[in-house]
Amino acid sequence: MSRPRLRLGRHLLPGVIAIALFGVMASVFLTASIGDPAGFGDASVIESIGFSLLNIADVEGTIPTEGFLAAFIVIALALDAALDGSIMLARRDEGDETGMRADGGDTGGEEE
Amino acid sequence: MTVGTEFYLLLSAGMFCIGLFGVLTRRNAIMFLVSVELMLNAANINLVAFSFFYGNVTGQVFALFTIGLAAAEVAIGIGIILVLVRNYGDVDVENATTMRW
Amino acid sequence: MAIFEISPAIALLPFVSFLLALVAGKYMPKKGAIGGIVATGGSLVLSVLAVIAVAGGSEYQHTYWMWTDSAPIDLSFGILIDPLSALMLVVVSLVAFLVHIFSLGYMNAEGETGLPRYYAELGLFTFSMLAFVYADNLLMAFMFFELVGLCSYLLIGFWFRTDSAASAAKKAFLVTRFGDYFFLIGVVGILATFGTAQFASVGGTESFAAVAESSLSDSSTALWMPDAVSAQQWITGLGLLVLGGVIGKSAQFPLHTWLPDAMEGPTTVSALIHAATMVAAGVYLVARMFAFYALSPTALGIIAFVGGFTALFAATMGSVKNDVKQVLAYSTISQYGYMMLGLGVGGYVAGVFHLMNHAFFKALLFLGAGAVIILMHHEQDMWKMGGLKDKAPVVYYTFLAGALALAGIIPFSGFWSKDEILFDAIILGLDDPVFLMAYAMGLTAVFFTGFYTFRMVFLTFHGEPRSEAARDPHSIGWAVKIPLITLGALATVAGVANLAPVEKLTGIGNATFLTDWLDGEYGGFDALTYHQYTDTAGLETAYIAGSEGTTVLIAGALALGLALAGAGLAYYLYNVPRPEPHVENLGSVRDVLYSNYYLDEFQVALAERVTMPVARAANTFDQSVVDGVVNGSGSVSLFSGDRLRRIQTGVVTDYAAMLGIALVVLLVGFGLYGGWLL
Repeated sequence: MSRPRLRLGRHLLPGVIAIALFGVMASVFLTASIGDPAGFGDASVIESIGFSLLNIADVEGTIPTEGFLAAFIVIALALDAALDGSIMLARRDEGDETGMRADGGDTGGEEE
Repeated sequence: MTVGTEFYLLLSAGMFCIGLFGVLTRRNAIMFLVSVELMLNAANINLVAFSFFYGNVTGQVFALFTIGLAAAEVAIGIGIILVLVRNYGDVDVENATTMRW
Repeated sequence: MAIFEISPAIALLPFVSFLLALVAGKYMPKKGAIGGIVATGGSLVLSVLAVIAVAGGSEYQHTYWMWTDSAPIDLSFGILIDPLSALMLVVVSLVAFLVHIFSLGYMNAEGETGLPRYYAELGLFTFSMLAFVYADNLLMAFMFFELVGLCSYLLIGFWFRTDSAASAAKKAFLVTRFGDYFFLIGVVGILATFGTAQFASVGGTESFAAVAESSLSDSSTALWMPDAVSAQQWITGLGLLVLGGVIGKSAQFPLHTWLPDAMEGPTTVSALIHAATMVAAGVYLVARMFAFYALSPTALGIIAFVGGFTALFAATMGSVKNDVKQVLAYSTISQYGYMMLGLGVGGYVAGVFHLMNHAFFKALLFLGAGAVIILMHHEQDMWKMGGLKDKAPVVYYTFLAGALALAGIIPFSGFWSKDEILFDAIILGLDDPVFLMAYAMGLTAVFFTGFYTFRMVFLTFHGEPRSEAARDPHSIGWAVKIPLITLGALATVAGVANLAPVEKLTGIGNATFLTDWLDGEYGGFDALTYHQYTDTAGLETAYIAGSEGTTVLIAGALALGLALAGAGLAYYLYNVPRPEPHVENLGSVRDVLYSNYYLDEFQVALAERVTMPVARAANTFDQSVVDGVVNGSGSVSLFSGDRLRRIQTGVVTDYAAMLGIALVVLLVGFGLYGGWLL
């Protein structure tokens, strides 16, 4: 019977670094004096985000912020590139015989 | 009564460190990617918290971009893990150690 | 004066012949000899013209090239022509000219190989010697002093394919170099102390002797004076340092060991370099710097004592040698000892007079020995010679003239100069024991000089021929005879230049031409004259029975008597048809003398027992400590690199761990430093 087991032991030792980092960051954040947050008031956040992505400014009822059209398009390009890249990485090389088998390769396949 | 900003920061620090813990101790490559995702999202929480603190939406827009980029990065990451499996037969990161002394 | 404008040509003409022989020697019919003869002849003519110009009442100093102009010390190349240097220019160029002519008969006619090299080296030597003679400052003199030593090395090692010649050349160079090391320190000391190395005070710059003299009374006139010693002691010290180079170059004790070995070179080279000119460079330097030496009676005393000792020491060794050139080599060492004795007792004129006479008669004797060697088909052992006086009368009579001059028999030139040296020594010796000892050694050496000279003459020319070569000698040509005749005439009459005893005893004026010459009666710089030197030195003189005339007579009679006694003993022992080697009767004394008082062995032992262990220790230190540090730092980086590279394990999570550790450390560090953490 195989079920996932939680491995404990020596290999968890590097994790101490993460705990130390948390300790440092917590001590900094809790001792810092941060004032009251400004908040957004009655404005609609979603509308503001949408308008700023398309560089439409100064519409009533929104929080004025800078335009992000260029960044928006860059992200679109990046996602496009990532899609193409992952497809290219996943594609098999010519004559590569290791395929994904639905039955996990228990049956003999072409030898039968 | 609004929650103080330092608690958001604390939450974000906690998530980051949990993600870091995963990066440092996990041997499965896919769990490695999941931990990296966790770290990215911790940063997002931080961005949104400060956007509320300064009353400026820029932080939230930036968080959106970060989510998009995280998605792209995972796509490439899965591709790399596929190649790793093809070459080393297993998703264990400790097998792929040819670039060493 | 026009001659002074072209005075650089005096040295440069032989330099041109050097280049010509080097480049085109093998295409020339006499392989460079004609070029050398023309060049030295030209230098001779120009030197005589310079002497005439100085006699007309002028002197010359000119700086041709400044190589640094930074105050307070200027370094330059220049020319100084005053009575002393003009005289020496004539001597050097005359002897060089005659040696070049003789080489036609000795080297060319005998079919030697490598002649372009020989004439090139002779040309280079003549150039450096002439430039040394009329150098106007001590640094330039030092440079040409060294160059002359180099040419001596090249010429001694002319037949370099024989081991003994190559080894003799190395020995000559090393021994003189050892002395020159002290000379260099002395030059640097003089430059640093007085700010100048000029010999003559001309044109606004003072000579270093003048600065030294004023610094004796007031030290602030010097550029720098050491605090620990007085000005007088420092000046004596500098003089002694320069004396180191003089002792090496003029083959005085203890650096005389190279000169007998230098006889491995061709006899013409021995005549030019190791008799008349290069070894004269040391004594000439003392005469040139006499204004400086006159300030320090201690240095003068040391010079006189070393000179007198060397004169006696070398004369005893020369008495037992069997090779004609070796006898002449020891004779050279001994005679230069006389010159140093003469200069040390303040007898500037006597020393320079003997320098001039010695150049002529010793060159004559060496060239005569060269003629004998040609006659004897290159045999040099005197015991195989004999009876040559009938077979080669020209050689015999000129050689005899040279021998009479060397022994100091009246009226030949050697008598007048040696007598004057001994006179100057005794008038000081009557008051001072050091000078008296020096005089006594010089006087004893007169006996030995007479003895070995005539032993050499009788064994070589008298008696029955003792070997086939002596019975049937080789013929010699006019190229050999002309220089011999010229020098023979000079050896006979050159004494006329300074007949001091005649003037003192008979009161005839103008018999001491050389004294007037060196005293600035014609041309000359005021500070570089004989009376100026005598005033500065301030040595106290005394006379026997209070009278100068009596002293002259007694000193002269003693010297002449001893010389005749020595000659007489040689006549009795060796002027027989079949002489025997009487030296065997001396027993163990003979062994000591023959082995040169074991000085060569002593120097070799010094090198092996003292210098070698020091050198070895220094080498070990260098290799283990100095190299050890350098290699050690290299191996430290190798080792640490070898260990550090194990961080690159190739496992990605380890790299992430390192990033994490670094981040934590940096945050904590900056937080504590900036104060926002804790």
